[in-house]
This record gives sequence, structure tokens and C-alpha cells, in this order.
Amino acid sequence: MKVTVRLIGPLAYTAGFSEKEITLAASATAADALAHVHLGKARQTIVTRNGRAIADHDGLEDGDRLTVSPVYSGG
Amino acid sequence: MLGWTGHILRVDLTSKTFKKESFTEEFAKTWLGGRGFAVKILFDELQPGIDPLGPENKLVVALGPISGIPAPNTGKAVVAAKSPLTGFYGDGNLGTRVTDQLRKAGYDAMIVEGKADRPTLLYIEDDKVEFLAAEPVWGKGTFATNDWIYARYGKGVGVLNIGQAGENLVRYAVIRSMEGRAGGRPGMGAVMGSKLLKAIVVKGTKPIPQADPAGMKAVGTADLKEVHRIDKDTGWSRQGTTGVLAWCDEVAALPVHNFRQTRHPESWKIDGQRLDEARVATYGCPTCTMRCGIAIHDHEGRESELDYENVGLLGSNLDVFDLAQVGSLNYLCDDYGLDTMSAGCTLGFYADAIEHGATEGDFRFGDAERAKELLGLAARREGKVGNLLADGSLRMARAFGHGSEAYAMQVKGLEVAAYNCKFIPGMALAFGVAGIGAHHREAWIITFELKLSTRDSYGPDKAAKVIELQRIRGGMFESIVACRFPWIEIGWELDHYPKYFNLVTGLDWTLDDMWKLADRIYAMLKLHYVREFPNATRKDDYPPAVWFQPDNADVDGPIAGKHLDHDKYDQLLQHYYDQRGYDRRGIPTRETLAKLGLSREAEAAAKYATLS
Repeated sequence: MKVTVRLIGPLAYTAGFSEKEITLAASATAADALAHVHLGKARQTIVTRNGRAIADHDGLEDGDRLTVSPVYSGG
Repeated sequence: MLGWTGHILRVDLTSKTFKKESFTEEFAKTWLGGRGFAVKILFDELQPGIDPLGPENKLVVALGPISGIPAPNTGKAVVAAKSPLTGFYGDGNLGTRVTDQLRKAGYDAMIVEGKADRPTLLYIEDDKVEFLAAEPVWGKGTFATNDWIYARYGKGVGVLNIGQAGENLVRYAVIRSMEGRAGGRPGMGAVMGSKLLKAIVVKGTKPIPQADPAGMKAVGTADLKEVHRIDKDTGWSRQGTTGVLAWCDEVAALPVHNFRQTRHPESWKIDGQRLDEARVATYGCPTCTMRCGIAIHDHEGRESELDYENVGLLGSNLDVFDLAQVGSLNYLCDDYGLDTMSAGCTLGFYADAIEHGATEGDFRFGDAERAKELLGLAARREGKVGNLLADGSLRMARAFGHGSEAYAMQVKGLEVAAYNCKFIPGMALAFGVAGIGAHHREAWIITFELKLSTRDSYGPDKAAKVIELQRIRGGMFESIVACRFPWIEIGWELDHYPKYFNLVTGLDWTLDDMWKLADRIYAMLKLHYVREFPNATRKDDYPPAVWFQPDNADVDGPIAGKHLDHDKYDQLLQHYYDQRGYDRRGIPTRETLAKLGLSREAEAAAKYATLS
């Protein structure tokens, strides 16, 4: 299946992209998808699937949009 | 007593006199500094019911025991007064060299009272205070005023100044410093203007008393470098606070179209990445090694320094998705001395009210050019529309009627920050119970809600999290007076702050001591409120009504069909009151006040309002 990974803020500089599509096995989880992304010494992050927060072990579906963001303080 | 200078400068603009007053060690240990000093001083010295724009109001500039000490992000000052926007205590913080200069002049705080008989520049140099003519810059913007001051006194002085908005008593006029910094959202600039006080300039040359200056210097210098290193490693300051815009859009929390919508397909045009690409300069506060002020060239080619709140409320909230135009709106707010957040919410409300037929007018969402004109009208209080805009969204809604108050995006009169809580109950609570009206500075729990809880829960854990964040953000950081960003943005541990505090004071405080202080401050903020509004109810702690309306729910996306639930919010509010020890109106009980050591203050408040 294909999943779009979007990286927010400085994570994009570390990984070298802000958004890209990756191909995963049909039973892949969020953790499997993130294994494809180099986040360096990233501090705490929050992962959402189609705008809703998910855990690492949650499964994905074809066409999902996975977003990884640092935990911000809100300006 | 070490760490504090032990002195407050009291200036009377009416009589052109000043006094150097001492405070006790007990006062220092009870209220610490910054917001702690300000809530206590203004509670004791202001009579409820006074006109916030009259000479009887007082402006407090308050610093903390680590202010002026080289350590991570300690270059902040708190400015406070009775707010002309909300009608009770208001404050804000801003990065400024007044912080170290006033401490070096020998003061931990300054109280300005009375009213000058002509536009005045207050010049403080150590023990000297001068009342100088400010006519050459009266009527000028903050940038020209700042340049004029620097030309006369050099760039090393501390400056607080106002623009036309403060002079013309716009209720959300701010105080400005260092050309790019602003603070005092609830009209602290208007309080200066009401006193004909155009600027305060401070120069100090004395050492700041410290228990262990060598130890503090060693720790502070090393920590400044370490914060810088971590920031570079994480890359946080590449986008600064504006990185959060893309995330808010992703999770349906972005203000769009006066908060009617939570996402927008063009939001990427004004996000942190675009801002970083357009960057022409970077600015920051004193003693900051993770500077977040990203300047771009605006539509007219001027430098404009942006952060997330500016972009969210002057950009997406007005449907302006042209970064240079957002820069222009921000530049004008900065130059006039308008709070960018209240300005963005008030303009958004105006466009929404026109769209919904509550009033007539020629302003439409997305019209950046007309928005620029309207900011000028507001800053000059020009014409009917300029005067309405200058009073903020709540007063404007009351003037328009037709149910428009429901979508005036404010709490207690202070406009909300750029987080759309259409379906974020904990953050809606944070706005509802913030000490001075809807300010994000006090608690920002969206990421907690999404990561460690569930978005649609209204449980006691969310109330507990709001209290925890209020203690850290609105209590400790506002009183010790330091920027919260090293902690929250790059993971700088909270334990560093009592460590700095102990090095300069010789005391042995822990974070628990800081939380006790914070609880005392929050109780005092409520006493300020109930003293001014004796008929206060729990409804005063509700967020904007539009977030509860089913017909305002998103039609698609992550929160399609969702909205805040009235009964559940009320239950969440009760969790907060129960954990705080407040009664059903949201007022601290006498028992709670006694536990916090505030029995005397309770008696003073009880003259004006009933306490349980």
C-alpha cells in the first residue's frame, strides 16, 4: 500500500524532505512507516493519521496521510 | 536578602516626583517577582471600579530575581495594570533591555502612577529620574520612536514605548521594545497613552546582588551555550513558533475565516517552511540563544518580524494566504503598537459580522488592502468603524447585536490566540480559565490532548493538565520572568530554573515551591476579577459560544460533524474548580485562600464580593 508521510517543522530539515509517498506492506503500522524516515535526534513527536493522533502500533490503510510533528508549545 | 535589589521605583507623573521604596524579604519570598509582584501590588493599591484609562490606574513593570542575569532566556519583563480591554487585572511579558538595565539601576520593579501634563519620556539612570518632553515623537509609530530614542541615548539603553494605538487609547494597544518585541496584550500600551507617557528609557550601572555570582556566571554561561547547541541540533529556530501552523492545519486546529474553518488548502503558502525560505533577518530577546523572530520583506518591502500568532490571526484567520501581505499587516500592527492577536481577531469578527448581516460594511475576508486601512483607522480611532475596531471584538459585538457575540472570539474581553478549539475541549478550558482572558501563554495543551489523551474526552486529567501548565507557564515563568521556549520547545529541564533562582538568592527552593507560588498567583487573579465583577459566574469561564454550535461543525476532515459539548464542558470546568479548590462560580473558597496564605486578601476581596 502507499502512504504519504508529511514532516512538520525542523523534522523536514533532518529527514531531507517535507512530504513524500512511501510503499509499505499491507499490514504495516505507523512504526513501520516511520522506520523509513530518518528523524535524527528528534525530540518528542506526535504522529497523526489523516489528522487524528495514533500510536506506533496502529495499523495503516492504503492512501493514508501520516504526519509527524515536534510537540510545540504554541507560540 | 540577595538576588533581589530590594527596591521598587515609584514614579508619579502628575507631581513629577519619584521615590525609591524598599520591600521586605517576606514580600520577596511570597511573590517572587514579575507577575507575582504585579498581582499583589495592583491588588493592594488599586480601588475596584476605577477607570483603567484614568490617572488612578497604575502601570507596573516587574522583573524577577534572575532578570538581567546571563542565563537562558532571562531577558523578559512583565508589564501590568488594570486592563481597559477586560476591566480587571491585565499583564504581559516582553523581551527588553529594560530587564537588565532597571535591575542595574537598583530596582526589581517600577510603579508608574498619575498622569503627565504633556507627552513625556521618563528617563531613569541609576538613582536619577527625569521627566522629559516627548512631543517630537508624539503621534509617531514605534519604529520611529525607537530610532529617536536610540539616536539620543544609544542602543544599550532599555526602552518601553508606544505607538499611535497607545496614544489613542486603543483597548488592545501593546507596549513595544527593541523594535520587534511587544507585550501587554490587554491594553497596557493604552494605559501608558492615558498617562501621556510615550516612552520609558532606562540605564543602569550597578551590580545586581547575587548570593553566588561566580557560580551563577559559570552555570549561566555554560547553559546559554548548551541551549544554543540543542537548538541547532533540533533545528527548532529554523521556523520558530511558525512550525506549528502546518500542524494546526493538519489536525484541524487552525483559525480560518474568523475560526469558522479549521483548515485551508492554501495554508502552506504562509507556513513555517515558506517563512524560513523568505527570511531576511533573525531577531531575538536579550540573553536568548535560540532566537525565534523571523523577519521577511513585507508587501511594501519593509522588514516585518513574524511568529505563529501573527501569521495565524492576521493571515489564515482573515483568509490572507500571501506571506508578504501578512507581513504588511504585522508591520502596521507593530508600528501602530496594536496587539497583532486582538487585531486579527477583531478584524476577523468584523468581516464575519458583515457576512452574517449583523452590520453593514465593505470589508471582506481575504482583502488585505482594506485590512491595512482598517488597522490605521483603529489605531487613530478614526470614524465610527475605527472607534468600533479600537474597542475590540466583544464591545463591537455588543454594538452590532444580532447574536454576533457568539462569534466574537474572546474570553472576558481578551481575544483568543490562534488555536481553533472547535473540538479541543482541554484547550478551550485553558482559554476559559486563563488568568487574564483567553491567553495561550498560560496553558497550551493541544498536543497533550491528541497524544496522551483523547480529543473528545472531558475528563479530570485534562483539568489537571491545564493546572500543571498554568503552574509552569503562567506561574513560574511569569514570576521568575523567563521565556518558556527552552523548556517546551527544545526540552530544557524545568529543574534548571530553581537552580538559577537558588544560585542568585542563596535559598533552597524546589519546583514544588514554585507551584505554591503559582497557585497563590492564580487565586489572586480570580480575586482581582471578582472584586471588579462581584456577580461573576462560571459562564465567565466559557470559551466563545460558536464552538458549541452544531451548525458551525466542520463538514469534512478529521473533526467533521464535531463540536464542543456544553454539558461536558461544564463538567470539565467543574473538575478544574474542584482541583483548584474554587466554588461553583469559579472563585477560590475562603478555605483555599487560607491554605495559600491569602486570608488578608480574602478579607479585602470580601468587601466587594461574596466569598464561599
